[in-house]
Amino acid sequence: MYQRNTGRHFCGVHFAADIESRVADTIKIRHMIITGDRVAVALSGGKDSTALLLLLAGLLPIWQDVKLIAITIDEGIAVYREATIRAAEQLACSLGIEHHCISFPDLFGDSLDMFLKGRETQACSICGILRRKALIVGTRQAGATKLATGHNLDDEAQSVLMNVLRGDLPRLSRDSSADSSGRFIPRIKPLSRISEKEIATYLLLKNAWTELPECPYTRYALRREVRSMLSVFEYKHPGTMLNLMASKEKIEHSCAGPVISSLRSCRTCGDPSSGDLCQVCSLLRSLGR
Amino acid sequence: MKLILTDRDERILEHSPAPVGQILLEEGINPLEVLVTRNGKLISEDTVAGAEDVIRVIRIAHGG
Repeated sequence: MYQRNTGRHFCGVHFAADIESRVADTIKIRHMIITGDRVAVALSGGKDSTALLLLLAGLLPIWQDVKLIAITIDEGIAVYREATIRAAEQLACSLGIEHHCISFPDLFGDSLDMFLKGRETQACSICGILRRKALIVGTRQAGATKLATGHNLDDEAQSVLMNVLRGDLPRLSRDSSADSSGRFIPRIKPLSRISEKEIATYLLLKNAWTELPECPYTRYALRREVRSMLSVFEYKHPGTMLNLMASKEKIEHSCAGPVISSLRSCRTCGDPSSGDLCQVCSLLRSLGR
Repeated sequence: MKLILTDRDERILEHSPAPVGQILLEEGINPLEVLVTRNGKLISEDTVAGAEDVIRVIRIAHGG
């Protein structure tokens, strides 16, 4: 296997060992998991969350008194979601990890497909807001202290660029792993320095690769255009994505204080919010719920 | 060589031996967005493919 940004070649065994070592380093350097943690792992059943759960389960012996709990969100996306939920159930079962599933209809009263009728172009932002909320609810219900998500380097670099393109400084400067006086369940992203291609390669080498469908709503997403553009840049100029992440970290350090201190409580649900209503309550109101 | 694309479409290429990455680029595919196997075995983009090889391109599904 060829690692473009370092120019190194690996055999399959050493490629997998390199991924495992880099994930362990990311967790250690950023103090993502500590003794006594109950880590809820967001497990969609897709490639990134599958790799995340496999890697964390493999690292469990190096931590003391740490437990993993898998949380799957069923948004209600016809044809697409059934296959990944089955894959998630099978993986959690094979690893002996407690698994919880939370559905949009149970939590918000309807499926994503129904919420999106006539609003398809807003699919990713609506789904993202509701899915984050569902994961937080699942994490709290499971009694977990951290929420781990499978965001990879490509996802994170795309988000940085999208926030720049939108001129969204609050999002650009937010550190989701920061615990603001216990108001948030800290989110950790152990794969944030592993590229999408490395994750796919890792799964194939571990015989854990399954070809699954892509979400039918991705064709409406700005992310799709940004992903394509950034991928070309990364191919021509290896290290572009890591450079974007380094820029984000510098911005985070400069802006963390003022952004966090401006948070209030949502007047409907009490969750942390930058306005009177949190994003979820505001969205549900606009959807007529 | 035989090239099997992500939509399972099969094509025979009259191509002199070349790195897989170069072949993908000529087909308009960014090598970072796919995995490639040769005769069923995972290979990297700098592997040289020859006339008798069966190259399969696997799409990396995003998101999830």
